Amino acid sequence: MGSVTRKKVLSIMALGAMVGLLLLPILSSLPALAGGGGPAAGGPPPEVAAAKKEGEKEEAKVQKGRDVYYKTEGIVSGAPAPVTTDGEKDYPRYNFESRVLLWFANQQHLYYGSFVLAVPIFCMIIEFMGVVAKDKALGKKYDQLAYDFVKISLTAYSLTAILGGILIFTFLTLYPAFFGYLSSIFRPVMHIYALMFVAESGTLYIYYYGWDKMKTGFLKWMHLSMSVILNVIGTVLMFLANSWIAFMMSPAGVDEKGQFLGNIWHVIHTALWNPLNVHRILGNMAFGGGVVAAYAAYRFLSSKTDEDRAHYDWMGYIAMAIGVAFLIPLPFAGYWLMREVYAYRQQMGITLMGGLLAWLFIIQATMIGILFLSTNYYLWQALGRMRGAEKYFRYIKYLVFILIVGFLIFITPHTMVMTPAELKAMGGQQHPVLGNYGVMSAKNGGINVVITTTVLSFVWYMRGNKVSTVSWAKFGNIFMGVFFALAYINIVWLAIYGYYIPANVRVGLSVPQVATTLSCLFFMLLGLNSVMMKGAKQLGPIEWGKISARSQYALIMLATAFTWMMGLMGYIRSSVRLFWHVNEIMRDNSPWAYTHTVGFAANMISFNVLFFWISILFVFWVGSLTKKAAPVEAKVPVPGGAPQPVGGH
Amino acid sequence: MTWLKLVEGYMPMQMVGELALCVLAFTLISYLLSKSGLAIPRFWQGILFWVFIQMYLKYRIYPPIPFSVRAMYGTASMVAVFMWMSSNQEDWNKFKQPILNVLDGVSGFHKALRSLFLLLVPVLVGWSSYQSFLPNLEEPIELRTVHPAPPQNTKVHGKTVTLQTAYNPYRVNTDGKFDENFARELITEQSMGRLMQTKPEANPWDPDAKGYIKYVREGGEIFFQNCHFCHGDNLNGRGLHAFAFNPIPANFTDAGTLAQLQETFVFWRVAKGGIGLPPEGFPWASVMPPWEQHLTTDEIWKVILFEYWHTGFYPRTWD
Repeated sequence: MGSVTRKKVLSIMALGAMVGLLLLPILSSLPALAGGGGPAAGGPPPEVAAAKKEGEKEEAKVQKGRDVYYKTEGIVSGAPAPVTTDGEKDYPRYNFESRVLLWFANQQHLYYGSFVLAVPIFCMIIEFMGVVAKDKALGKKYDQLAYDFVKISLTAYSLTAILGGILIFTFLTLYPAFFGYLSSIFRPVMHIYALMFVAESGTLYIYYYGWDKMKTGFLKWMHLSMSVILNVIGTVLMFLANSWIAFMMSPAGVDEKGQFLGNIWHVIHTALWNPLNVHRILGNMAFGGGVVAAYAAYRFLSSKTDEDRAHYDWMGYIAMAIGVAFLIPLPFAGYWLMREVYAYRQQMGITLMGGLLAWLFIIQATMIGILFLSTNYYLWQALGRMRGAEKYFRYIKYLVFILIVGFLIFITPHTMVMTPAELKAMGGQQHPVLGNYGVMSAKNGGINVVITTTVLSFVWYMRGNKVSTVSWAKFGNIFMGVFFALAYINIVWLAIYGYYIPANVRVGLSVPQVATTLSCLFFMLLGLNSVMMKGAKQLGPIEWGKISARSQYALIMLATAFTWMMGLMGYIRSSVRLFWHVNEIMRDNSPWAYTHTVGFAANMISFNVLFFWISILFVFWVGSLTKKAAPVEAKVPVPGGAPQPVGGH
Repeated sequence: MTWLKLVEGYMPMQMVGELALCVLAFTLISYLLSKSGLAIPRFWQGILFWVFIQMYLKYRIYPPIPFSVRAMYGTASMVAVFMWMSSNQEDWNKFKQPILNVLDGVSGFHKALRSLFLLLVPVLVGWSSYQSFLPNLEEPIELRTVHPAPPQNTKVHGKTVTLQTAYNPYRVNTDGKFDENFARELITEQSMGRLMQTKPEANPWDPDAKGYIKYVREGGEIFFQNCHFCHGDNLNGRGLHAFAFNPIPANFTDAGTLAQLQETFVFWRVAKGGIGLPPEGFPWASVMPPWEQHLTTDEIWKVILFEYWHTGFYPRTWD
């Protein structure tokens, strides 16, 4: 057997092993799923156990319950949610607030979990781009980049597992009754969850260590297939984790006492599970992009050579582009999630966006705005490394104005903070001018304007050093200009029109607004602009590495804002349950069942962000210690006159 | 200069429009000055523009904007000026040059300025520190919850109303059947504070009025017997007793109040009043009485019907 054939066989075996690992948890759990999961931990309730002893009378005494969400009837298969009391039994504690300890452990695990789930998706995309790239040198560059990413995620993966362990120990130590109840409900899929970790680890290691052995031809495609499997496992893993938090917010599959009714799918597939899943996938990707971009920015700023600066400039750009690609649809996914929250419980929706937690949403809006402002700023700075892009500089001030107006409307609070004297001077709780910016109709308009402007900045960036050579270039430019102008008019008009129509129609207006924004993205940026720039005349090269230091700080700002926002939104999502462990099922009777002040929450989030960044610096440092040579034969060429890295460039 | 007034009903759009016109005007002035060799330095362009925005927000917009919101706007506009000034290297160099000149002390004037700053900055820091330690007799800032979350259901006169599924029983057509569209078609329109009757059958004063519109009148009678003293005869929160309270009662004509809420939410608030607000609604700052002690359930629903009709808003619905 030749060496190539042997490698092929080995790679197929590796792939088969991974598929096996993927299927193992599912196969092993089939009996449990088929049987509805069987009795939950803690066994059946005492009355059911007693009934079993009675032999033939068993069926007659089966206890039935009604699903709190699906309203279906089911056989009670678990114990009711424990009614806890404040004391050492249900809430053992150190001389510290247990909730804060759990908050810290949970947040750190989530940061790393998000990172290690996002990076393999990056690797998959970038490796694929490398495989299909016509330019071999460029293909190798992409391959190297994907390899660098996975290298970073490997250490982070270990940390994720360690933090996961710490999280479970924290739960068991500080909230035994609550964790016991949740485990009992999810018992039928707990082992799938655990085995998924095994499958994920196995696949990741084969994927990473197989890189050198599988770098060409058929083997490379096999390697790429592994990344797909890796990401399927990771996504399923995340969906399962999401089902826990979704159950805590919007329980299903249990009766009003919290007794499991035998249908694990109902428990998993709660009202908020799907919107949470979509929101988290997009969020993880954007977050992962931000972290890698910050890493590249840090390396850029500390680089000693032009070659390094060029490489990290390019790396930062790619990571930013991928992150922003997922950031753009993120507000829409968030909007869907909030809509489902309102539909599930109006009380929850109002607590979030109009009531107790409304100010945190203003902070969130500010963070979202910062993300888009940073992205635009980076793109404008990036124009500076292209010869020929100077023609756009004089128009940037108009983009700044549009962005800031959209941003200001987006962050205007409905509930203004003021002294009683200011309140009196204002004549009422609602300000007649700014009050209108504080509600959803205006805010939808604001954020859509910001996103559309970001798309426009991308169009400028892709055109920076090029002039279209297609015969219909003039018509194309006019068409694009008119398209964007109409898009702005449509978004703003719908935002104003929203005040004159019923609320249910107003909520529906977000659809045409989003459609307008996405049309600019797909038809103009990815469609028309790409076609027009194909074979375009180059006015000058992109001088990778010759970008301002300010741009790199913008990337760091982007990543920090992502991290801070994740912490904030996690806190908001969790706080909305108020004094419930599991909403309306299991009450939190610990001394910490109150909502923290905005200031305390902000400090705690900042602490978590700081801790994450310090620890991830350690991860980066460990990643830089490896002596493993790059998987490509040739040294990565200095970008610049070299091939263009992405789509338009 | 009456033409410079903020026009009621169009104020938010007017503010954005005015700012956009100002930006265009400044650009034009800057361009003309530059052409005539009198270009304003980049540094001063940025500073002056930022100052202009602050002045606009403080003196142009009325009623006064609370400081917290002006601080947010001020910070964001400062970021905007920075983004504009540093969007390309050439502009950034021009912008920071005067600052560098002072720091480097390139001339006698700059040296003097630098020395002045050396004295001024610590003095300002010291003064602001001293001020922050002075006892403050002003009332503290309130982070009031305007729309506290309602409970899932509420018990009024012995009957439980589930807020998410209940509806106003008086939104009925002439046959007495629940018909939301019938009510919507007959809703009044408001323009410049005046009611605009669009359909003859939408007249609640008609003694032959049936269905929804009849109940609107009955609701109106209840409103003027009980509510208008505080909420005002135009439902704008400026009633006879309104200014005895701070904040004044809710202004129903504002798009941020009734228009944002489900009728059941309003039902809960009216029935339970300020005293019935949930703990997380602190500071409650609402003295509205629990109207369930004075009105029947039917009367509460009717008065709500009237409030929506009169303001021309539609209650929030789910589908």
